Order: sequence, then C-alpha cells, then structure tokens
Amino acid sequence: MNPEHSHNVPQLFYIFALISMFYMAYNLRRLFTIQIGKPDSRPFNFLSQLYNSLSFGVGQKKVYSKRFTYASIMHFLIGWGFIELVFATTVDFFTARGWFTDYLPGFDTPWFAFINDTGGIMLIAGCFMALIRRHYIKPNILPQNNFSGRGTFLGDSGILFFLIFLSIGGFLTEASRLAIENPITAHWSWVGYAISKTTSLSNWIYLKPYMWWGHAITSLIFISLIPMTKMFHVIAAIANITLTNRKKHGLIKSMNISEIMENPDSDIENISLGASNVKDFSWKQLLDSVSCTECARCSSVCPATRAGKPLSPMKIITDIRDKLYSETINNNKTDDLIGGFISETELWSCTTCGACMEECPVLIEHVPTIIDMRRHLVLSEGKPPTQAKESLEKTMQNGNPWGFSKEDRLKWTEQSDFKPPTLEEKNEVDILYWVGCAGSYDPRNQNIALSMLKILETADIDYAVLGKEETCTGDSARRLGEEYLFETLAKQNIETMSKYKFNKIVASCPHCMHTILNEYPDFGGNYEVVHHTELIEELISTGKLKTNINSDETITFHDPCYLGRHNKIYNEPRNILKKVTNIENIIEMKENKESSMCCGAGGGNMWHEINEGERVNVNRFNQAMETGATTVATACSFCTIMMDDAMKVTGNENTMKVQDIAEIVSDSIESSV
Amino acid sequence: MKICVLIKQVPDKDSKIRINSDSKTIDSTNITNIINESDNYALEEALLLKEKHGGEVVVCTFGNESSNGIIKTALAKGADRGIFIINTKPHYIDILNVAKIITDNIKSEKFDIILSGLQSDDSGNCQLGLLIAEMLNTSHASLVMSTEMIDDSTIKVKQELESGWFQWTELNFPTSLTIQSGINTPRYAALRGIMMAKNKPVEKIELDISGYTPFLSLEKLYIPSKSKETQFINGAPEEIASTIVNILANEIKVL
Ligand code: SF4
Ligand code: SF4
Repeated sequence: MNPEHSHNVPQLFYIFALISMFYMAYNLRRLFTIQIGKPDSRPFNFLSQLYNSLSFGVGQKKVYSKRFTYASIMHFLIGWGFIELVFATTVDFFTARGWFTDYLPGFDTPWFAFINDTGGIMLIAGCFMALIRRHYIKPNILPQNNFSGRGTFLGDSGILFFLIFLSIGGFLTEASRLAIENPITAHWSWVGYAISKTTSLSNWIYLKPYMWWGHAITSLIFISLIPMTKMFHVIAAIANITLTNRKKHGLIKSMNISEIMENPDSDIENISLGASNVKDFSWKQLLDSVSCTECARCSSVCPATRAGKPLSPMKIITDIRDKLYSETINNNKTDDLIGGFISETELWSCTTCGACMEECPVLIEHVPTIIDMRRHLVLSEGKPPTQAKESLEKTMQNGNPWGFSKEDRLKWTEQSDFKPPTLEEKNEVDILYWVGCAGSYDPRNQNIALSMLKILETADIDYAVLGKEETCTGDSARRLGEEYLFETLAKQNIETMSKYKFNKIVASCPHCMHTILNEYPDFGGNYEVVHHTELIEELISTGKLKTNINSDETITFHDPCYLGRHNKIYNEPRNILKKVTNIENIIEMKENKESSMCCGAGGGNMWHEINEGERVNVNRFNQAMETGATTVATACSFCTIMMDDAMKVTGNENTMKVQDIAEIVSDSIESSV
Repeated sequence: MKICVLIKQVPDKDSKIRINSDSKTIDSTNITNIINESDNYALEEALLLKEKHGGEVVVCTFGNESSNGIIKTALAKGADRGIFIINTKPHYIDILNVAKIITDNIKSEKFDIILSGLQSDDSGNCQLGLLIAEMLNTSHASLVMSTEMIDDSTIKVKQELESGWFQWTELNFPTSLTIQSGINTPRYAALRGIMMAKNKPVEKIELDISGYTPFLSLEKLYIPSKSKETQFINGAPEEIASTIVNILANEIKVL
C-alpha cells in the first residue's frame, strides 16, 4: 500500500469530535447507575466471557431466532452493515493518519471498497425493514403500542432515520471523492460509483466539502446520541452478555436464610429479604435492565402475556430500569417499585417457564429477578397469593402442598402388586426413585408412579424409594418466593439422603429433578439426578426393557418447561415414543422443544390462579388439539394435571387422551417378560 | 387497647390419629400440630384491630410443652407477647377448670378484649370464651362474624343467628368474644416476623393443677367405628310398612 491513502482532516473536526465524544461519555453514566446494586459473586472465566462477547455479543447468536424470522433478517442487515461500517471507519482513522498503511486496505482497494458499499446498503435496507415493521406491520407487542414510557420516537424510529441519513451521506461523500479522484478501481465501490455518474464533475467539486462536512457532523451527532437511543444496546448489551455467567444462567440464587437468622448482627427490622427496590438487586440484575433493547421477544413468547394475564417480562425489566434511572441520574421521587411500577399480580402471573430467557437475545435473566421480588412479598411482607398461602402452610406442616398426612406417602402402592422397597429397609441401592408429592398423593399422578414401579420391576432394577422419609423438594415454595421453607425442605431432604447409599436419583417430576440436580448443590447436596424418560430410554436401548408397538394412537409430545428449556432434555422422550408407536404417528406441535409453551402450572401457579385473561393450560391444550393427535404425551406431574384439566374443561375426554410417557411405556411392555 | 387471644394447639385433621393404650391420650408421634382453626381467625381479628386502633395483642395458650410452636407462630404473625401456661401432666382437664386456670392467670392483665375461637377442633366444647366472661364478669358475644369499634370502650359485633339471620350487638369493655371461622383472611407468617418473634417476651407458667377439683373425668377415648348400615326394604307398600313397624318395635325398640 502507499502513503497516498492519508488525507487531511480539518482541525475543526477534532474539536467537534471531542465535544461529541464528551457528550457520549457523559450520557454513558446510565451504565454506571448499576453501581448501587448489591455485589454478585461470580467466577470470572476470561475465556468464557470472551466467548460470550464474540458469539452472543458481536456475533448476535441469539438474535437469529426461528420464531422471529423477519426481525432476524432485519437485525442481520442492520447489525452486520453497522459493524462493517465501524470497521471501515476504524481503518480510515488509521490510514488517514498514514499509520499502518502497509497493512491496511485503502478505500480503493477492491475488496474493501466492495464490502464498504455492501455494508452501507445492508444498513439502509435493514433500517427500512425496521421502519416498516414498526410503523406498518406493527406487531402489537412492540413497546410503543403497549406501554407508555417504553420506546420513544427519537430512540426507536428517529435513530433509524438517522442511520439511513448517515449511510446516504456516506455514499454521497464517497461519490464526490470517486468523481474527483476517479481511481481505476472506482467501480468496486458499486453504490458510490453509480451515484458519482449522476452529475457532472464540476458539481461534485462544488459539493464535496459540503458532503464531507455534512457526513462528518451527522456522524458526530450520532455518536453523541448513542446512549440515549436504542443504539445504546451496542454498548450495554455487549457488556451484559460478556459478563453473563452462562453456566448458571437463569438459576435462582440462594439467600442463605439460616445464616441471616443465626447472625446476631442482622438488623431484622431493616434487613431486605428479597428485592423491593432497585438497590436490592445485584449489579448484574441492574445491568440486565439497563441493557434491555425493548425488542419484546420475551413478551411475545411469554405464555402469561399471550393469555392476557397482567404480566409482560419486558415491562418488568424496563420498569426496573425506569426506577433505577429515576433514583440515580434523574433523582426524582417516584412510585415504589412493587405496588407502583410493578403490581403484585404481575409478579404472581409468571410460571417461571423460561421462554423469555430462551428468547432474550441479550441473555437477560427474568426469572431470578421476578423471584427476588416475590421473595420480598413473602418473606418481608407475608403476602403470598391468597390461594397459594394454604399450600405453603401445608407444605410446612405436612411436607406436601396437598396437606395429606406424611404417613400416607406410600398409600398409592396399596393399589399395586409391586411393593417398592424403602431405603430404610435396604440402606444401599443403585437407584433412588423419587416419587414426589404429586406421585404420592395426586390420583392422576399415582398412576404414573405405578407405571414406573412396573417399569423398574420389569427391568429388574435395584431400586428403592424414601417413602415416609421423602418430603417435598420445595420447588413451588422456592418459586413462590418462600425461600425459608425451601431451604428447610432442601436441608431436610439432603440430611435424609445422607444416611443412605445410592448411585443416582430417578425423578418422575421434572420440577423435583431440577431442584435436586441444580439447586441442592448450593446446600451441599450433590447427586446424579435423571428424569424417568432418561432412564426409560436407556432401559429400552440397552434391551433391559422390551416394548411392543401395540397402539395406533397418534401422539403429540408436550415438552415440560423444566424438562426441556431448563434442562435441555428434548430427545429422550421422543426417542421413547419412537419405540412404542409408529414414527408416522408422532406429530409435533408448532411450538415444540425450546419453543414449547408452558402448561401454566410452574412457578407455584399450580396452587393459585390469576383470574384475568385466558387459561394458559387451555391455550396449550388447544395447540395439541390442532395437531389432530389423539394423545398428548407429557413427562411432568404438573403438566399431566394441567392437560388433564384442560381436556375436561374443553370437553375433550372422548377425543384426546393425556398420558405420561411412563404410562405409555408401561402399557406397551411385552407381556411375556 | 389490650387484646388477649386465647389459642389452642390441635392435631391437624389430615394427621393419622392413634390412641394410646391407656385409652385416654392421643399418640403424639407423627401428629402434625397446628393452631386451632377458629383461633387463627381470632388472632387475625386481634391483629387487624390493633393495626387500626393501636394497642397490644397478647396470645395465651394452655397446653403441653409442644404448644410452644403455636405461640411462636402467633408472635411471628404480629402478636406482641405470649403467656404460656404449661400443663406438665398430660391429664384430661375439663373445660370449666380450663376456664378457671386461664382466668386465674390472665385476670391481673385487665384485658379490654378477650378473643377466642368459637370452638376447638379437637374437643369442641364451645364454652371457653363464655365461661371466662362469667368468671371475669365481662360482656360477651359468641359466633362473631365481624367487629367494629364504636369508641374507646365499645365494640359492635355481628353475630350469626339461625337460618340466615344476623344480629348486631354493642358491647362495653371488658368483653369476651368468640370468633367464627371465615371472618377474615388469616395472614401468612413472614420470615421477617419469624425473626422478630425471637425477641418477643413469652411468660412461661408451669401449672400446678392440684388446686383444681375435677368437674368431669375422662372415661375413654376411641375412634368412632363405622356403624351406619343402610337396609333396603322391598315389597308391596303394606309389606314394607309392617317390616318397618317390626324393626322399630323389635330391633331399634322405639315403639
Ligand atoms: S418465565 Fe415464562 S411466564 Fe415468566 S415471564 Fe418468562 S415467559 Fe413469562
Ligand atoms: S428483556 Fe430481552 S427479550 Fe425482552 S425486550 Fe429486553 S432485550 Fe428483548
């Protein structure tokens, strides 16, 4: 390369550039409002943080979602067009000063010229797509239509016009340069070249300084405005993504209640249990809120929002941001976060299904944040949802939310020929079968537990149950914000299990599985835990369990949130179905696997109902009906209850069957065995 | 305003009740103990009155050591202090003597209002609040469905009468009211309350029952056995009539 790349930049430009940078930096203070948050201890792993920032940040991995095709293409064009232009500007910054010119391309280097123009066109096209979407297609979930205070004209549409203006300015500046310098590779700058042919050389000579200054000034204004518009996510979202701990993404953090209770220095009157204001969140949770791009993907997929419940995960996150800014940079008195910005019913509507976190392109963790606010309501104020209160009290008294006697935990086996041994009798086994409260007490789920007994016995597994020693894992309690009860139950179960030897736990309910597998380690309980579908698949594939295809039901599988999204078990249940029915009889719902819609029972919603809006279970059941299948298969205690209920309320007892995978397998076990 | 709430520990109705071999006591292993249902409403009513009009809520129970749990729960929900009369011997004590025992231990407190549940889920005497009212010479009302303060020393209550009738009554302090279940929505014991309860005072009184002469004695505790049997009588009207007469005269012996 040669030094003629370098060109003179007027001194005045630097003065303007400094002002613009300064203004941008000043507005970046919104990023630092997160300092008021609590500490968040997390392992910092340089490589994984770098990976986050490159793949999910710059690489926009999660932006490209099959559920949002239009928006994905749109963002691809804007995102990569923009990144290309930032790259071009950076190269220009160096070459203009004559630095590294031996290594860097110049504007007339053919490939560089080509990608720069292509980048500009992508950016313009993407911005147009965005404008069309926002003002013509108008998905009703986009902020400006739904919530005041979110989305401003300048921040959302204004910045798009700005970007278009900026790109056009770039092309015109380029065209004038090409017309005047007329390099032999000019045609590689395909857009600028075409424009340069539209008028005479003398006109271009006259226009060039205006073009240059026009473009320079718009660029500087753009930079200074970044933190105040949607473009802020380029900084905030990448920071957030980079700092995300993906291993623990979406997991609820423990509070260490016993430590708080035993600490004589705890200021009980003023201690914050859970989060009632922005200061009670960790800096990372606040960074989450600051970096929300208001893309509304979370709310578009949220089963509660879709059912017309008073919850929108985007609103929750952006409300926290509003409150954060009003307490910090704006310094004005506003309503309380809970009760003012966010209502209690909003918080109680969440089923913790995780659909929002699955779709959020900037890796925001809605569920732990919602749970923190629920903790405040329950632990500080004693205000769980009225209907759920009873189930919490019963769990505390009887170790199960139904409130049946602890002594009746094995009553379900009275109906069976198989009597499961208990660990108390055997002391040491290969597999501990975790029946769960639903399996023990709910008549519908007892049948699933009975099917599991048949499977375990048929496959000659060395197993046992805990029987009367088993107590609720605390899934619902924790998700209802009752961390004290959860911690008590977790410790009790861990203590019970520590008396015995077993290799792994098989749970029938994904909620039990998730809690023991992912949440008990915080209390010193580390176990290998699998779901019954994982065990059954293994038994079938190793030939320990022989099944027949003896039904011509068409089956659609409903992915339970805590099996699928929360634990990534998608294939095992499907593989099992392929062994017990003909492949052509398995029909997928449109929303399946990671896009599966919740049955409505998670997050403690099993124990209370938000009356507003439609019933989530009926909505999901109707999706199953749409497939034309004759059986909806599930693999979760709550899902079975919810689907069963929806089947009855919609009057489909004769058209649809609701079955757990274990029941289907148990029905198809070869009778000769 | 000083409010006393009388609470009692009872076995949860979902617990498996077993009777000890002495046929006089309940086997307490595997029993979940809870606060008596209507007492829980009485406690909530007291807390609501205090929240609205100020004052002090004192919970009082008479029971064995394990009753400590319900006192703690009541304090966690917001009661200010507890009076725990400990019955060291698990003897049956009749309701008249229970009333005397409680009266003897609370009379010096000079409560303005004494609230208790309408009846206990285990023995179901429905008398305690009224006996105490007699002994302390206070006004009283039972089956209270709602309360409303009129002035510093008068309370208006709605009482349930038969067949959908209600009665409003104004009572002067001191008063003893027995509360019907369902009058309010009892609150949940928040962790903050549980933590605060640790520093609230509980006066423990070990009871010497020798000074009380039993009025009733307990013969035998037993679980009711299913004895209902339905007998179908078929035939012509006259046949049926004569069979019934026969049964009434010879089997049930009422004719
Ligand atoms: S977890 Fe599910 S219900 Fe809760 S906010 Fe997210 S999408 Fe909505
Ligand atoms: S929370 Fe995530 S998915 Fe929801 S609007 Fe914000 S950025 Fe989009």
